[in-house]
Amino acid sequence: MHRSVSPWLLAAALGVAAYGLVGIGQFGIGHFGIGSATAQQRNGITDITLAAQTCNVCHGSASYISPTMPAIHGHDANTLYAALTEFKTDKRPYTIMGRIARGYSDEQLRALADYLAKN
Amino acid sequence: MTTYSRRHILAAGAASAAVFGLPHIAKAQAAGRVVVIGGGFGGATAARYIKLFSPNTEVTLIERDPSYITCPFSNYVLGGIRKLDDITQRRDPLQQRYGIKILRGEASAVDTNAKRVRLKDGGQVNYDRLVVAPGIELKYAGVPGWSEQAANTVMPHAWKAGQQTLLLRKQLESMADGGTVIVAPPANPFRCPPGPYERVSMIAWYLKTHKPKSKILVLDAKDAFSKQGLFVSGWESQYPGMITWIAGKDGGKIESVDPKDMTVTAGFGKEKGAVINIIPPQSAGKIAIDAGLAEANGWCAVEPTSFASKKAKDVYVLGDASIAGAMPKSGTAANSQAKVVAANVVSSLRGTTPPAAVFHNTCYSLVTPEYGISVTGTYRAGPQGVAEVPNAGGVSPMQANAAQRKLEAEHTAGWYAGIIADTFG
Repeated sequence: MHRSVSPWLLAAALGVAAYGLVGIGQFGIGHFGIGSATAQQRNGITDITLAAQTCNVCHGSASYISPTMPAIHGHDANTLYAALTEFKTDKRPYTIMGRIARGYSDEQLRALADYLAKN
Repeated sequence: MTTYSRRHILAAGAASAAVFGLPHIAKAQAAGRVVVIGGGFGGATAARYIKLFSPNTEVTLIERDPSYITCPFSNYVLGGIRKLDDITQRRDPLQQRYGIKILRGEASAVDTNAKRVRLKDGGQVNYDRLVVAPGIELKYAGVPGWSEQAANTVMPHAWKAGQQTLLLRKQLESMADGGTVIVAPPANPFRCPPGPYERVSMIAWYLKTHKPKSKILVLDAKDAFSKQGLFVSGWESQYPGMITWIAGKDGGKIESVDPKDMTVTAGFGKEKGAVINIIPPQSAGKIAIDAGLAEANGWCAVEPTSFASKKAKDVYVLGDASIAGAMPKSGTAANSQAKVVAANVVSSLRGTTPPAAVFHNTCYSLVTPEYGISVTGTYRAGPQGVAEVPNAGGVSPMQANAAQRKLEAEHTAGWYAGIIADTFG
């Protein structure tokens, strides 16, 4: 997937999240825990934004592409979600992703897939 | 693939803030001055993510050493499959790409009331929020007969990578075929729980390929260790007859060492080693203790939701120095905790609700260069501290074919490249 316009610049242009701007994750969507998601969305770093950063340690970020680990940023959200749930249920046997995906509810995996598709 | 670069992101963040500003109360608070003590996996990740979350925040990283020689992969220098250069990392991108100010020096004192860090060279830095990530201090006195001098000459620890790694490697290269290498891991808690056993594997790899008549004796203070089933099974299949592990309950715990005779005395008796590697007991890095952030046990208690210190306001302690509940003292754990700390630091400066903490750990170990095993865990803040999410995580399967072990060995290298990029940019 190629984008001609950086979503960050777009965010700036549209004034998205003008209050409490963050360098990453102003597109954080959905709620990850219970409670303050709305306030977070308006003011700061969302649960899903923080959770999604844990993936970077192996998979790299949008600006660093790992030579070894599969890239996870910028894919179609449904494809990502399908992969995560297949890992979780061992329908797609691999190495550590099943063990990691089982740490999250389906709703959380859905939110992660949506976030990673857009960031 | 997305095509924008990190430079664009920073530019966008700065531009947005300039255009829209940060309204009223948040305006002064949102920026803030953050000081980070320690530029390892924990401290450097925290500095970088604070800047990613909040480009306007002023971040100063205090670091003693010019470059970072990573403990992860230092066992591969011992095994001869990596050079020290391969595991020597530069912090320059933090300064050049993210605008983090790197202050070369050693933090010598923290005044948590005046919110000020003093440096050994006499300088001082004020902070609004302080992140303390000093790693570990080795307790030389914890092993009777051993000393820093013994470690620097004949009985290395190699538990902080660098000259110590090279010394241990040199000793392995110098020993005659048929000698015994003694490795003595400490009791819990300590840095990198699977590390001693990966080290045993990598020393075994070197001996198998260069000095096959030699033996390894593991004298352990513990009765069990990380990924034990996988390691023992790997040792039996890859290095049959070479490695003997003695549990603490069977007399494995070392009572004293004699650096002159190159002997160790454990519960079961005295043993001579051609090479002796003492991995001593540890505590939080000295500055954390001097700053009054540590408990009587030598480690720093923190709030599991934020890694805020339980001892001082506006101070966060993360990584090996912290008491992190179910999380091990690992590079990945420190990297993960650092993101939670960064989010909490930025949220507290802005006065917004911090996101819910979620933590991740993965530790890969190599049994041979093509035989990798792993342990992973997902963690959340619970009433008793950081707790592992049940029915998730765990270790590689006991039964796996060579292709699966090889894939995990490839992922070991992928993990390393990833964490370096995620930590230093």
